[in-house]
Amino acid sequence: MKFKHLLLSVLFAFMALSTSVQATPANDASVAPVAEESEYESKTIPQLLESFFETTGLNAMLNPQDGVKNGHGEEMSIFAQSWGKLIMFVIIFILFYLAVAKGFEPLLLLPIAFGGLLANIPIANMTGDHGMLGIIYNMGIANEFFPLLIFMGVGAMTDFGPLLSNPKTALLGGAAQFGIFGSLVGAAALSQYTGMVDFTLQQTAAISIIGGADGPTSIFIASALAPELLGAIAVAAYSYMALVPVIQPPIMRALTTKAERQIVMKNTRKVNKLEKLIFPLIVIMMIVLILPDAAPLMGAFAFGNFAKESGVVDRLSNEMQNSLINVVTIFLGLGVGSKLASDSFLVAETMGIMVIGLLAFSAGTASGVLMAKLMNKLSKEPINPLIGAAGVSAVPMSARVVSKVGSEEKPGNILLMHAMGPNVAGVIGSAVAAGVLLSIFK
Amino acid sequence: MEINLVSESLKFMVLGMSVVGVFLVILVQVIKIQAKIIDKYFPEKAPEVPATSNNANEEAHHVAAIIAAVTEFRKK
Repeated sequence: MKFKHLLLSVLFAFMALSTSVQATPANDASVAPVAEESEYESKTIPQLLESFFETTGLNAMLNPQDGVKNGHGEEMSIFAQSWGKLIMFVIIFILFYLAVAKGFEPLLLLPIAFGGLLANIPIANMTGDHGMLGIIYNMGIANEFFPLLIFMGVGAMTDFGPLLSNPKTALLGGAAQFGIFGSLVGAAALSQYTGMVDFTLQQTAAISIIGGADGPTSIFIASALAPELLGAIAVAAYSYMALVPVIQPPIMRALTTKAERQIVMKNTRKVNKLEKLIFPLIVIMMIVLILPDAAPLMGAFAFGNFAKESGVVDRLSNEMQNSLINVVTIFLGLGVGSKLASDSFLVAETMGIMVIGLLAFSAGTASGVLMAKLMNKLSKEPINPLIGAAGVSAVPMSARVVSKVGSEEKPGNILLMHAMGPNVAGVIGSAVAAGVLLSIFK
Repeated sequence: MEINLVSESLKFMVLGMSVVGVFLVILVQVIKIQAKIIDKYFPEKAPEVPATSNNANEEAHHVAAIIAAVTEFRKK
């Protein structure tokens, strides 16, 4: 007991001393600087404690005030300051759980969720132009730069061998893009007839690109067409990509018969090295001729791939597929997370985006599978309809899922390489679809 | 004029799906053609690639053999 008293009295003495020490220079200094600032007056311990309490996040959340501004200088509603934060914390912890315990796309969900956590800290205003998250966001997301760097890395990691050895599977990657355009119509109908949400055409286009199941492309299009929806779109895109193993298999099973799922595909032919080297150049030439609007995405992608296949700049290609993409992933995740602030995320549009995104994703999977069924009927060589599901880009997750479902149906049936073809074609397909959407709104 | 979002987006769908489809069909055809051309005029120098590595291997074997011979010789 005595010790505690002693400790307390020392503490109080120290605090009193420090307040008086602070008080004197503050009085002198207050003459020179900003006149508006109220002069510092000597405060008692309870006053100090009280004023300190007023700067705590607890107080900010318990006693939300009107007119409190977020990092961008917009006023936040009472709800966004109090319950909204709490709801966001719960959502963020769910994201942490999915990333850490379930291993769903942790490389992105974890930084995004942590960015969201930081963005929701009251008072700190980390999303403002001078806050850490705001700086990151302005550095590379607002100007669509980070998604392109990611695309470069993905290009350097992608092996087009499976696609080149069985080129017609590329059509599956095209069919799966129906997810984008189908949900574009769906979102437009939702907005036009139900009045639940009020999306513009640009916004519906940005949302429907989630159906391409391609995170960088989604972010690229969202920041170009509907930056105000970026947070929700990116979170929807990445969470659905992370949920590929949950969302896709039921759709795949529902649309195929057991016999079809057990189809064994022929081994693919060996691909000449020169073909792989020329392929990125062919893609670029096609972009030049047909769709220059897709040039940023496909340009970065083809550059990464060309660097890899050339075999003479291994240092550069290693950098792209390792350190560069890792650094950019950190920034991209945190920057996107900054859009998870309660005042911009907890709006009716977010629910609409989540629903439309899920529909888009499912429609993409379904149309890929149906197209593969059709091709199996028409083609001489057997095609396992499951690989159609890999037409949504989500590289390489959806190809792995296809392979897993395939080997569950028939042990030893390895579909991975066959599924990689539509998978990488899906990346090209969704970049082309993105280019089309951009060209419409130019 | 009020734009009907649905009819507008249906038009987008027609445009988008046909561009994606045409793009990939052309891509598939080009891939097939280039595969044929490359197979015909620049066949994979399959014998040559292993040959270089064989050369390297042989060299290594020779070096190893020489070193072994020299050490044997020195021991005597």
